[in-house]
Amino acid sequence: MAAPLVLVVLAAVTVRAALFRSSLAAFIAERVEVVSPLNAWKRVVEGLALLDLGVSPYSGAIFHETPLIIYLFHFLIEYAELVFMVTDVLTAVALYLAIQDFNKVVFKKQKLLIELDKYAPDVAELVQTPMEMHYIPLKVALFYLLNPFSVMSCVAKSTCAINNSVIAFFILATIKGSAFLSAVFLALATYQSLYPLTLFAPALLYLLQRQFIPIKLKSKSFWLYTMQYASLYLCSLVVIICLSFFLLNSWDFIPSVYGFILSVPDLTPNIGLFWYFFAEMFEHFSLFFVCVFQINVFFYTIPLAIKLKEHPVFFMFVQIAIISIFKSYPTVGDVALYMAFLPVWSHLYRFLRNIFILSCVLIFCSFLFPVLWHLWIYAGSANSNFYYAITLTFNIGQILLISDYFYAFLRREYYLTHGLHLTRHDGTEAMLVLK
Amino acid sequence: MAAALPAASRARTAAAAVLLLSCCGAALAGGVQDQAEQFFRSGHTNNWAVLVCTSRFWFNYRHVANTLSVYRSVKRLGIPDSHIVLMLADDMACNPRNPKPATVFSHKNMELNVYGDDVEVDYRSYEVTVENFLRVLTGRIPPSTPRSKRLLSDDRSNILIYMTGHGGNGFLKFQDSEEITNVELADAFEQMWQKRRYNELLFIIDTCQGASMYERFYSPNIMALASSQVGEDSLSHQPDLGIGVHLMDRYTFYVLEFLEEIHPASQTNMNDLFQVCPKSLCVSTPGHRTDLFQRDPQNVLITDFFGSVRKVEITTETIALDRDPAGFESKFPEDELATEPLKYAEQLPVAQIIHQKPKQKDWHPPGGFILGLWALIIMVFFKTYGIKHMKHIF
Repeated sequence: MAAPLVLVVLAAVTVRAALFRSSLAAFIAERVEVVSPLNAWKRVVEGLALLDLGVSPYSGAIFHETPLIIYLFHFLIEYAELVFMVTDVLTAVALYLAIQDFNKVVFKKQKLLIELDKYAPDVAELVQTPMEMHYIPLKVALFYLLNPFSVMSCVAKSTCAINNSVIAFFILATIKGSAFLSAVFLALATYQSLYPLTLFAPALLYLLQRQFIPIKLKSKSFWLYTMQYASLYLCSLVVIICLSFFLLNSWDFIPSVYGFILSVPDLTPNIGLFWYFFAEMFEHFSLFFVCVFQINVFFYTIPLAIKLKEHPVFFMFVQIAIISIFKSYPTVGDVALYMAFLPVWSHLYRFLRNIFILSCVLIFCSFLFPVLWHLWIYAGSANSNFYYAITLTFNIGQILLISDYFYAFLRREYYLTHGLHLTRHDGTEAMLVLK
Repeated sequence: MAAALPAASRARTAAAAVLLLSCCGAALAGGVQDQAEQFFRSGHTNNWAVLVCTSRFWFNYRHVANTLSVYRSVKRLGIPDSHIVLMLADDMACNPRNPKPATVFSHKNMELNVYGDDVEVDYRSYEVTVENFLRVLTGRIPPSTPRSKRLLSDDRSNILIYMTGHGGNGFLKFQDSEEITNVELADAFEQMWQKRRYNELLFIIDTCQGASMYERFYSPNIMALASSQVGEDSLSHQPDLGIGVHLMDRYTFYVLEFLEEIHPASQTNMNDLFQVCPKSLCVSTPGHRTDLFQRDPQNVLITDFFGSVRKVEITTETIALDRDPAGFESKFPEDELATEPLKYAEQLPVAQIIHQKPKQKDWHPPGGFILGLWALIIMVFFKTYGIKHMKHIF
């Protein structure tokens, strides 16, 4: 499978290189849907320039990236375009390897369950075969590399690509079973943007499954492993943060990065839900609502962990999607990351109910974003309500997409254990509903 | 000596006549003196009006009709167009949705067209911004601004400022894109006071929660009226089914009915204006503020602000003007000691510019950091792949 992957990578690199050389690069780099105050390239350059002038890059609310990014780009700033292309390629390759391994795990588990007679007799058509699973890793890499969202994100040189690649490496490490590397990469991802903290739960569940440790609250081995993993994660996080202190000899970066992510002071419009609310909210309510909005990101972890404890990778997918919808400064790069996983669940296609409408909504909204921006900012004949309406519709589309996949996944699992033809008590055909 | 006696008696009668005449003259002069004092009852010599409608779009028809009605009344009572600064979005009369183009009605059944043929709008459409409004008030206008767009008031001007639109507690919305706060407005009036741009100012506002806009005023000689208190909405009067929108707001409607009875010589005073539109008619409670005003509202004529009544009286008597210490003391604070004006060259830090600091050296990450980072990376690498693989690498 290496050759098709190389072809895909070459195609992606060509597309990105072509766009870098064209005049669209400057236009895309200023689009608010693609860059946010957290990951704009302009701000990285500004931070490095401030550093050259002898001023801390965190003075003034310009630069909100971590010190490790400062270190990385201090040496690589002339090769920035190459760096971002390489980052995208690395992400795709990491996802490819991860999904390859995951497919093997899925297949093994399926075989085990069939042999143990856990499946109902008439579900032969629902079981995944190696033939159809053979091309999924390639499709994942394709979906990530040739997704217009990730192409735009790369051309805009938004550091979201670096965050995506760290998360992809974390997923690779988790699926390969290495708790240490997975903790290190998760710590790096959390260090850069706070929200991957919620990915701790699915990673833990996956590693526990892999070690065949049952997930019971009373079991000692469960707590022991959890403590080990948690301590690995926390230690790496602490080590990375302390290391960042030594770069600039100051703790300035903590309020600038984490304080900024949590308290959302910058209300530039983006594809997220925060800016409009806080632009029109009175000050004495804003603390309460910031807390409510931020809790919304972390809130779904525990219920999903309880429901999806047998399927941690699907849980990881849903969690990444939730992060990219509800985070404080989302961009299309975050959307591209979870969309890359959709081929893995392509066997759920027959259970998806709204896929046509949702894909239309997402595509149309992506086209309407620049149109309404132009109408609002340049033509002046619309106002922020119009742009926010499209933001809302886009996010509703994403949320419905995730819940549709969730429903389809659960429905398939139910059918696998209870058979395809469900009947109620009186013999009529029954229908599964997600309550 | 026959001639000397009649001369002495003639002189005596002449003296008596002069005395009598002077007494009469004094008495007469005393009467004219009273009249003269009445003549200078208010301290203003000219009138200005700044009428602002802060809304645009068809459904805000009533705000434009409000402003144009006040404009008509003010013109009728004598203030010329050159002394009126009218700021309107002016998108009503020629709006594609207007069933009667080139008209703006203020009474239902289309009785009164307040647009007419002689409306002079000074700031129209997108020029009605907070910045332009504040520049008009404070006079800080670019030199290229035409005369009709300037408020050329002096320290003997009485200014009427009428604002209408959509407002809230402490702010007024301008054209759906920006706001002016009550603090800004109060500061603008203080600037006008310090620059002696007004003698007395009457501020009328017809918006929701309008009373909040005059809460922050702190300059002297300002009287303010609002159509509703904080927490109340100002309501519109009646819709016209032919045009399809509400034509006027209640408060301005009743103020206008009140003003229709005023003519340039009327002696109606401000206390009557405060009674206009009680709660039973207006639903909201109009408010007013007179604590900053030095005269008693009883003595302030409506035409002091709404009209431009020229005080001209022809008299053949001589009137001696006394310096009345109570009324004529200086209202303005004493100027502070004038400081030495800075020369132009001293305002620029030339010495600093010439001897600029040398460019900083480029920043490098500290050695300790690089060492620590790469040590960590190597540790992670070896922990994952094991030391035994080193044999295969080298």
